[in-house]
This record gives sequence, structure tokens and C-alpha cells, in this order.
Amino acid sequence: MKIENEGNHLRVSDIAELNAVNASQFRDEVRAAMPQSPESIEIDLSQTRFVDSSGLGALFALYKTANTSRDGVTLRLINPRPPIQQLFELTQLHQLFEISQR
Amino acid sequence: MSEHPIPAERGVSNRVVFKCDLTDARTATRILRTFLAEQGLDESELFNCELCLAEACNNAVQYVADTAAQEPVIAEAICHHTGVELRVTDHTNGFELHERPATLDPQRENGRGLFIIQSLMDEVRYYRGTQRNTLVMRKSRTHQQHRPAHDAAVANLEDARRQLESCQQTISGMASDLCVRSETLAAIFRCCAELGRTSDLEGFGRRLLNDLLHLTAADWFVLRLVPVGDSRLSVFVVSEPSLHTDPLPLHAADATTSAELGAARARREVEFDARRAAARLEPLCQAGPKAVGVVHPLLFNDTLIGTIAIGRREPAPFSALQSEMIRTFTEFMAVQVINARHVEEQMHARIVAHELDIAHRIQRALLPRTLPQLAGFTLAASWESARQVGGDFYDAIMLDDHTLLLVVADVMGKGVPAAMFATIMRSLVHALVGRSRHPAKLLRRLNELLYAELSSVGMFITAQLVVVDLHRRELVAASAGHCPVIVASGDHVRPLRMAGMPLGVLPDVRYREQKVALAAPAGLLLYTDGLTEALNPAGEMFGSERLTAWLRDRFAQSMKAEALRDALVAELNGFCGGEPLRDDQAFMVLAEEAPVVAMRGRTNTATTGDFHPADVTACSRNFIFPLDPALGIQS
Repeated sequence: MKIENEGNHLRVSDIAELNAVNASQFRDEVRAAMPQSPESIEIDLSQTRFVDSSGLGALFALYKTANTSRDGVTLRLINPRPPIQQLFELTQLHQLFEISQR
Repeated sequence: MSEHPIPAERGVSNRVVFKCDLTDARTATRILRTFLAEQGLDESELFNCELCLAEACNNAVQYVADTAAQEPVIAEAICHHTGVELRVTDHTNGFELHERPATLDPQRENGRGLFIIQSLMDEVRYYRGTQRNTLVMRKSRTHQQHRPAHDAAVANLEDARRQLESCQQTISGMASDLCVRSETLAAIFRCCAELGRTSDLEGFGRRLLNDLLHLTAADWFVLRLVPVGDSRLSVFVVSEPSLHTDPLPLHAADATTSAELGAARARREVEFDARRAAARLEPLCQAGPKAVGVVHPLLFNDTLIGTIAIGRREPAPFSALQSEMIRTFTEFMAVQVINARHVEEQMHARIVAHELDIAHRIQRALLPRTLPQLAGFTLAASWESARQVGGDFYDAIMLDDHTLLLVVADVMGKGVPAAMFATIMRSLVHALVGRSRHPAKLLRRLNELLYAELSSVGMFITAQLVVVDLHRRELVAASAGHCPVIVASGDHVRPLRMAGMPLGVLPDVRYREQKVALAAPAGLLLYTDGLTEALNPAGEMFGSERLTAWLRDRFAQSMKAEALRDALVAELNGFCGGEPLRDDQAFMVLAEEAPVVAMRGRTNTATTGDFHPADVTACSRNFIFPLDPALGIQS
């Protein structure tokens, strides 16, 4: 996993899986890297081949953290693979996250 | 089998047994994904299967029962040409599998995993056992080009043989599953047919549980019920006499000695293992030194009806399917017990109503149809019953042409027994008056005759007997714990208070008599306590003082007994202000007619007090008041 922090732009990429084993660690690391007043938070899911409900839980937790930060930014998810995109839709989480394909 | 070899594409399975740990769970799902990929599932199918397996395996690990953390979790994928079946066997306390909600609140974290499984799979079933449950997930395959990616591998003969064996195992498992299920259905149909006929609950329970023994390969059962109004679990049906043990008090201080009590108290299933039980105290240990089993509480809504314990002699736990059957049959039995109890209650209510009806008719028949009428006097009575059956009755018996016995009694108790005693009492009075006309002697004899029967059922009778001699113008009264007769003699109206033990309390009782002279106009009121204890809406009693005062006014007006009775009934109704009658009310009123000629003599008698027998005989049958010669007025 790679975490880049330029200015107040946080970008997380190179995530292989978000599962019950690594979800809380992922959540804690991203939270720790989150700037005081983030301008944008992007999580690149293009390399992610598996997400389970624990992974969804971690993303949801980050969404809440970002949303309640000083300026209230939203969580942007980049290029999730089709089955994962479908999973967001199934669990209605796509209503909360900003999902973009680039 | 050799003639019809099973084609390889009928199904293959892979089974991973892993330690109860999230990392191992992840590895297991990856292995099964690889296996399914080899069976030619596409990316989307693979993702969904992997996800559902991961959710199920994670749940199995995260919610494992404290005592089962060492038990391995089993994940299995079975691939048929028409679909995929995924099975995960956990050692949790299990959960309730509800219908999938239509949508999921994205904010809600709980239940997301199960929601995902139910959304992605075509069919999800959860078979609950005792700390061993199996989640079965099925998904049919839309495009069925069964394209074993490992064609080359099949060439390996050893592999092919293994696959064949695995197939055979799967199929024989499915066949026996199917067989048990059809038998279960048949047993349930049989029992359904019996549901309407609830008269023989014991027979029903025996048949149902014997079916269950057969279906679950169990050896013994104990059905206990909590009888209505009891707080103990009493054996109702058992598979063998040795299991017929004493009732278990539900409020016993220590429930750990009995799995049945434990299940009843906790309202959930409890496992039983004779090897771990406190053998001397655990009733189920009668099933054998190594017996194991489960106990389910029988519940209806939140009410505990009983328990079903079922098990084996040898320590072999029930499978998830068998446990599911036991649970189903338990629910079935609970419904049937409740049905039977409802029917019984209805029957009982009908019998009680019928009994009350009989008692009411007996009671009515006891009361004299017509009251004796005497020249110069009027006699009237009223009887009202608060319940369907009252214990009150009254009677008026002519002893000769100028002597009248008045009886008012109240049998303490209700229903047929009270009516029976009232009947006996009335007959005895009629039989005894031939021998004695002394109220005290009559009461003593009545007590002697009734004591044994009354005391044996804890009932008693209060009674007031009054003999009125119209020639001598006097009354003789005795009371067996009854409310006082109110006597009007000239201007004086007062209750005649007398002590006396009710009938049926002590075996030998002597009663006292009181003799009162009756100046004109004379009047009497005999009543039962329902009269003075009548309540108004403010909760006040009518009371004997109010009654006496009321009578003082009315007797002074020389009303006839019927008019007086009607006025008193109206007064009581007015007092109660529409409140329903709380107790029975019976009373009898005797009133002397006051001819105009006699009016002047009234004050006279009141002052002179007693009559002289000579005066009485001198007076006519019309009871015109005997005039005192001292007044200088001759009759």
C-alpha cells in the first residue's frame, strides 16, 4: 500500500485487498496520515482485487472521519473493478462515496 | 455403480478445514477460489463466491463460542454443472437467518456480511446444531460451459479416481439427506392430521417423539410439562420407565444440577453430557453413563410450557440437520400442548357454567313459592343473587294456626356444594319442627346433623330462627352467627343482637334463646348481610343503623309487608346508585296491620311493656290490640 500526502491532498493506492485481516490496519494507517484540514482524499482501488464487508467497514469509517474533519471533504474512490463497484451499489455505499473512473 | 459410472461433470468438491483464525480463513477462501476457477467459473462468479465464503468464514471465526475456539472451521465448495454450493460449518452459538431486507442502510455496519451473502446467492440456508451449524449457500450457473480447466489433470488416473470418490460421497450424502427430509415431512404430516384431535395429548406426544427418535437416530427422550397452576416440570412422556423421575421445581435454588431446569430457566437449548454432569443429581443420567443429548424449552409466546430432552446412549452429537429437526418438532409439540389446554379450558368453563345453572335452579326451588298469610299480618320476602348462585335462603313454616317459624340462612360457599347444603338445611328444618319449636334446640340439632359434612369441606352456615307466637304476642329467637333480626314492637324498633356459633364450626354447640314481647303494631325484618353490606358508589356500607332508622319510619306508617319490601328494595337500589350487587341479598319482612281502632292503644303497650297471657287469650284472632282496663276503655 502506498500513501502520498502532497499539501493537503491525500492519496492512497496500491491496495491488493481490503479484508477482515488487514482492514483495521488499513483504516488506522490512512487515518494517521490524514492532514488536519484535508482538501481531498482519494483511494485508488484500481489494483484492488478483493473487498469484503470488513473492507467496506474500513472505507465507511474513513468516509466518516473525512466527512467530520474541519472542512468536511468527501471520500473519493478511484477506478474500482466491476465486481467491487457492484458491491458498493449492492450495499448502497455508492451513495456516500464519490466513485470515479478515470 | 460400475455399470453406470458417474460422469465427471456431475460435480466435484473441495473441502478446507482450518484453524479458527482470520488469516487462515482468508487462506481457505483463496484455496476455494482457485478450486472454483479450475471448474471454469467466470471472474464475476468467482468474486461473488469468494466474497460469500469470506463473509461466512469471517463470521465463523469472529463469533466462535468461547468453549469451541479450538474447533476447526470447515469450508467446502461443491461445483455441479448447474451450480455451485458453498458450505461453511461454524462453532458459534448460531444466529437467526431472517428474510433478506429489501435494501440496506449504508450507515449500518451490522448484518452487512449476511446481506451480501443473501443478495449474491440464490438460496441460503442455515442449519443450526448445538454449537455446530452449517451455512449452505447455493448459486446456479447461467452459462454452463463446464470447462474443466484442468483437462490435463484428469488424465491423471489417480486424480480422476479421487474425484469420482468425492462425487459418490456427495451423492450418497445428498441421498440420505433427501431420505431423512422426506421422512421428516411424512412425520410432520401425520402429526398435522392429529392436530385437531387433542383429547389424547399423551399419545400424541409419544408418537411425535418416537418419530423424532427414529429420524434423528436418538435413543431416549423425556417430555416434561409444567401443569397449569404448578411451578414444577413434571414428567409427561418418557421413552423408558427409568427416565420417569421426580418433578423439578422451577424455583429451585440450584439449576445447574439439571440440564432440563437449565434450559427451562434460560429459555434456550442446553446440551447434556452424562460424563460431565453431577451424576447423582442429574435426572437425565438415568439414560446411561455416557449418554449425551440436548434439552429444548417448550415455549408459547413467552410462557414456559415444558421441556423436551432427547439424546443418545453413546457420546455422538447430533448433526446440524438432526438438530434442526429436533427444533422443529419441539415447536410443534408446544403448539399442540397449547391447543390441548385451550380445549380443556373450554370444557371446564362449560362444565362450571352448567354446574352453576343447576345450583341456581336448586336455589330457586328452595324458596317457598307462597308465604303463609295470617290474619292481621302480612309477610313478604325478597331474594336477589349477585352471582349466578347465592348461598342465601329463607323460609316461613306455620307450626300451628297462630305460630310461625321464620328462617333466614346464609351458606358460606358457592356453586353446587352451597346449594346442596341449603337444600339439606331446609329439609332438616322441615323435619325437625315436628319435634321441637324452640329455636335454640332446633339450631343445636341442626348443628349436630350438619357438622360432619360442613366441616369436612370447610363450609359453614349462619342462620337466624324466629318463632312468632301471635296469640301470646311474643317471639323467641336464636341465632347461629347470623345478623340480628330487627324487631318492631310498638314505637320501639331495634335489632335483637344475640351471640351464637355458626353451624358447622364446632361439633356440639348450645344456643341461647331470647324472648321478646310484641306490642302493636309489631314488625320483624330478617335479613342476610348482603343487605347491610351493600355499598354505594362512594364505598360506604348501607349499615345496620341506617337500616334500623329506615325501618323505624316505615313501621310507624303501618305499611303492608309487600309495600315495605318494595320500598326497601327501592331504597337499596337507590343507595347503591346503579352499582351492581356485590353480594346476595335476602330478607323477609313481617308487618302487622294496624286497624284504626287499635291506634290509640299503641302508646299504651309501649309503656306497659309485656303482655299478660290472659290479655293475649282475650284478644281476638284479628290481633286487635288488647286494651288495658286501667284506661277505662273496654273492647
